[in-house]
Amino acid sequence: MVSSTTSSPPTAPLDTPTPRPARASAPARHDARTAAVFLAPFLLLFVVFILFPVFQAVAMSFFDWDLLTQSATDFGLDNYVRMLGGTGLTWSLTAMASWRIVLLAVVAGLAWAARRGRVAPRTAVLTSVPLLLLVVALGITPGPGGQWNDPRFWAALQHTVEFTVVATPLLVVGGLAMALLVNRKGRGSSFYRTAFFLPYVLPVSVVTLIWIYLLNPDRGLVAWAMQAIGLDTVDFLNQPTTALPAVILTTVWWTVGFTMILFLAGLQDIEPSLYEAASLDGAGRWESFRHITVPGLKRVTVLVVVSQVIASFQIFGQVYLMTRGGPGDSSLVLIQHVYESGIRDSALGYASALSLVLLVVILVVSLVQLKLLRSEES
Amino acid sequence: MATLTSPPPPVAEPTTGTSAAAPRRRPRWSRVAFHVAVGVAVAVWLLPILWMTVLALSDNLALQRNSQTLVPLGFTLDNIVGELRTSLIPRWFFNSVVVTGITTVGTVLTSALAGYAFGRLNFRFKKPLFILTLAGLMVPREAMFIPLYLMFATTDQLNSYQALSMPRIALPLGVFIMTQFFKAVPAEMEEAARLDGAGHWRTFFQVMLPLAKPAMAALAIFAFVQSWNDYLWPLVVGTNPQFYTLTVGLAQQQASFEAARSLGDLMARGVLGSLPLVVVFLLFQRHLVRGITLGSGEK
Repeated sequence: MVSSTTSSPPTAPLDTPTPRPARASAPARHDARTAAVFLAPFLLLFVVFILFPVFQAVAMSFFDWDLLTQSATDFGLDNYVRMLGGTGLTWSLTAMASWRIVLLAVVAGLAWAARRGRVAPRTAVLTSVPLLLLVVALGITPGPGGQWNDPRFWAALQHTVEFTVVATPLLVVGGLAMALLVNRKGRGSSFYRTAFFLPYVLPVSVVTLIWIYLLNPDRGLVAWAMQAIGLDTVDFLNQPTTALPAVILTTVWWTVGFTMILFLAGLQDIEPSLYEAASLDGAGRWESFRHITVPGLKRVTVLVVVSQVIASFQIFGQVYLMTRGGPGDSSLVLIQHVYESGIRDSALGYASALSLVLLVVILVVSLVQLKLLRSEES
Repeated sequence: MATLTSPPPPVAEPTTGTSAAAPRRRPRWSRVAFHVAVGVAVAVWLLPILWMTVLALSDNLALQRNSQTLVPLGFTLDNIVGELRTSLIPRWFFNSVVVTGITTVGTVLTSALAGYAFGRLNFRFKKPLFILTLAGLMVPREAMFIPLYLMFATTDQLNSYQALSMPRIALPLGVFIMTQFFKAVPAEMEEAARLDGAGHWRTFFQVMLPLAKPAMAALAIFAFVQSWNDYLWPLVVGTNPQFYTLTVGLAQQQASFEAARSLGDLMARGVLGSLPLVVVFLLFQRHLVRGITLGSGEK
């Protein structure tokens, strides 16, 4: 399920945020007691089921916490060593070369943008330094005879990042394109909107059911269509190179309607008079799009990107149901590794340590979002 | 006021193409071409759903020979009737209704109460408590299931409605939305109630809640969809098929050899599993769309 637990900056849903009247008509002490009653149900559930588990997970990650024996033993960093460590680690210039080249290209792009004055130098430096550190860190690799302690963790992390990096742009661009396509009045467009959004309301298990068989090389419509145009059929879900892309395709079909709705909301917040003015000034459709639509959608784009990155990092259902992480570990993702380590193998301490990786990533993404939106407001 | 993001009310002439992006009226052929192109795109888009429905209405034996079809082979309702009769689907549907019901009502109520307190009342520690709630927005609920699982496993509460619903009730986002809403209500409304001698409780129930209906409806729909389609948590705490939700139950044995021989039954389950939410969506489209926009923090 796409979880949209994204943070958002304090902006009023209504245009008139009135500060609370200073003339307190009731004594503050009375308010306090009422407030306690009003807040109690939420705070209680919030602390017990949302905040406490975070601290509990941190605590558990330091123990060998076995579910079956209910015992917490061996306090220490063992779980983290198991997760992050390896034997015979060396640094190599060529390890993960394609990833590192892409990252270097991003840094180069930032430097160029900073020189052109498109990006503040401070922002460019603050972004480039972590990226460069990452480029260096990606060179760490087990040498000959060496091995990661948990190769599955690194495989899962890599696939989760790949999923996020590929699916997010597809969902953002696809959602925007669809929104532009159906952003007009009339019964037709209203119908198109409904149709494009419809897959989003299907449960994940139905979506995967349909797509498992659609992509089936013997029975599915995709194979049928491929044969019709003279291609060989491919067993998408059982090939290491196509398993994850197939899941991404399914996810885009399932959830792009969601981003479309968000972009539609953003489009409708743009003042129509701006377009009229531009049109009177003789601006063409491309100029209107470039100078009115794109800037007007900046805020919603940040929200969409962040919510999709957060949701993508927590991808689980589609992958688990369509490929079980396979073939091999070629489509294993982080949450599946957490699930299997914790629930199947009863290693709750290790699973907690794994889940904290997700917590940290999502915290960082949320904080970046806050920063982006705040800098935009000021 | 937030713009309606839902489809606008049907206009008499569907081809008055005055979109925001293209203020000029375009020639007729261009409009026809547009509708044909988008119409084809929509057809392809919905093809997977159509295919599922076609297979659900087809004869199982016929499907073993050929399933690459867009018309039902040997039209029959046996698959659907059979799944309703013999499978656990009615039970899973009931579970989903109970869990989603508790979660939705609980989320809306706790959010409205807390939102009123944060938005309208003066008390000590208000700011730190609100910041704590905002910090809760950043906790990935999906990912932090291990401690919750331990909590319910050690108290022997796996396979129970409380395990399925309780952790999903508190929704920091809901509190945030309701706080923003109540903050924006003009003070005069409250003053008037005060003059009538109403206390906080009466003000809340008789003045504030009726005002907040649209926001609460959107929030309810958001919580409903999230809960109905939740997969990981119900999978973790529901180990007994009697306590599967519909989403989890339908996922069982999807790709197994046995199931693949009765593709019609399998797809019938898919259709039955999708119907409730599709119907809700088509009925409450406007609210649903608003709920999603709200839930993402757009509004």
